Amino acid sequence: MSELAIEVRGLRKSFEDGRIAALNGMDLTVSAGEFVAIVGPSGCGKSTLLHLVAALDQPDAGEIRVAGHDLGTRKDLNHYRAHHVGMVFQLHNLLPSLTALENVQVPMFELGLAPPERRRRAAELLRLVGLAGRERNRPPELSGGERQRVAIARALANEPPILLADEPTGNLDSEAGRHVLDLLEALRRERGLTVVLVTHDSSVAARADRVVHMLDGKLDETAAAVHLPASTAPSVRPVGT
Amino acid sequence: MSFGALVFRNLLRQRVRTILTVLGIAVGITTVVALGAITEGLRATSGDFVNAGGADFMVAQDGASDLTFSAVPARDVDRIAALDGVERANGALIEVSKQSGNPYFLVFGYEPESLADEPLTLVSGRLLELGAESEAILGSKAAAELGLEVGGTIEIDRHAFEVVGIYEVDDKLRAGGAIVPLAILQDVSRRQDVVTAIHVIVSRGADPDAVADAVERDLTGLAAIRNVDEYSKVDQGFEIIDAANLAISLLAVGIGAIGVMNTMIMSIFERTREIGILRAVGWRGSRILRLVVYESLFICLIAAAFGVALGILASRAVLLVPSVSTFLAPSYPPELFVRALAVGVLVALMGAIYPAARAVRLSPMEALRHE
Repeated sequence: MSELAIEVRGLRKSFEDGRIAALNGMDLTVSAGEFVAIVGPSGCGKSTLLHLVAALDQPDAGEIRVAGHDLGTRKDLNHYRAHHVGMVFQLHNLLPSLTALENVQVPMFELGLAPPERRRRAAELLRLVGLAGRERNRPPELSGGERQRVAIARALANEPPILLADEPTGNLDSEAGRHVLDLLEALRRERGLTVVLVTHDSSVAARADRVVHMLDGKLDETAAAVHLPASTAPSVRPVGT
Repeated sequence: MSFGALVFRNLLRQRVRTILTVLGIAVGITTVVALGAITEGLRATSGDFVNAGGADFMVAQDGASDLTFSAVPARDVDRIAALDGVERANGALIEVSKQSGNPYFLVFGYEPESLADEPLTLVSGRLLELGAESEAILGSKAAAELGLEVGGTIEIDRHAFEVVGIYEVDDKLRAGGAIVPLAILQDVSRRQDVVTAIHVIVSRGADPDAVADAVERDLTGLAAIRNVDEYSKVDQGFEIIDAANLAISLLAVGIGAIGVMNTMIMSIFERTREIGILRAVGWRGSRILRLVVYESLFICLIAAAFGVALGILASRAVLLVPSVSTFLAPSYPPELFVRALAVGVLVALMGAIYPAARAVRLSPMEALRHE
């Protein structure tokens, strides 16, 4: 059995003083290097699950273990967010006043790298996601697909072993969405990344190794997990080349 | 991109707000610098008078609220001159007289024979003659201000004095005033047998401090002032000015801090989502805190630079008033700029504490949900 990258047990999370239960005893395991898509209807708790695994929020109950470490007992969650997971949001969440190159450098401040080294690494990542030549553009000057690729480059800035993507193609047209998924697949294959992707789009989920269904804040037991053959996506090279 | 560039970029996003905040703090620092420069100038002028004529110390009435109100019995000049270690003691009476728009024109009464000991350089005319009653010599600045030359007349306390000489001297008080015979000034000012201060020069080899202590011990009610730091013994003016200066500095800090806090709170509120992003990519709370504090510091240091420049200009502008320029030259000791910098840093830190704490307390998700 392959090494577990993520292990979630009995996870519960509610909002508005318990009136809205987002997660209701969620269980999930993800193996290292696996590409898992989490699907389910709106409000089933997919994004909440991802946010808890990214340590952006605290669960009410349950356990999250990432690479064997219990997030509930970790004191240095900033370090965890900086080094162990990369997060891609549906709305890219780039800093609008910074250029693409600068946005990718933002997480690297936690690595203590000198500015020239940060710039070099960021430029390399932008080239990797197919944005060579767009380094000096600010988010408003980029298309939706390009912004999402900048967000992916930023998520990879500190070389985390796990990439969490929350509806990364949700705001993109099909062509741009396909490019982003190609990129995620390629990164997973070439870099051995563990990718957990949340989507409500079955065609997007179909690109994953395994599809996990959620309903009402937990695994949908009625929908069998779908294991797909390994992706035949292209190797990591600049998109569009 | 360096951390400093990120700080600078954030401030440029709301240029008008940043500029207005800088100006608000700069006005406070301008007040601190201008008032400080004028106070230091007055202190220097007074310090010059303490040691006028090469005096080792000055003696005046202990506890006087203002030096011009000091009343020392004239017989104490001889008693001090007779003390061991005293080479010479010169008494001077100071009278404030209004002269053509200058309400603070200073007139000094000296024994004419003591003028030979004073470092006066005659520009024209002569010194006071022994036994002369209605003669005056004018400082060169005073002569220029009043438009008087040798042969002219100056009226002091309804008594006309003929100008017989124009002199130059290092201390601004006497350069901007007039010197008349002591006896006649005592008479016209109705302060017979009184002097304002006594300048004491000790004998070669004598210890000035020991002589000054002896004066205070042997002559009750008198204070010996060795330098301007002891001036408050005979003049409460500096204490009042220093207190006002401190109060204005505190006001500047308080008002500035509120301005910066307002700016930073608005800035942090507008950037709540961005702070969530920074937390989401792993930025430590201490780094967020540094971002806010550095932004605040940057605003305040720019304001301090502007405030110092404007403060210097404002203090120089005071010299456009002729009656002030005769006895005041603004002084800019390094401590003044340290004080301006301290006000800037204090304002920055006080203004940043709450917004920074608020930014650090935000959980990543709470911040990311912010619209």
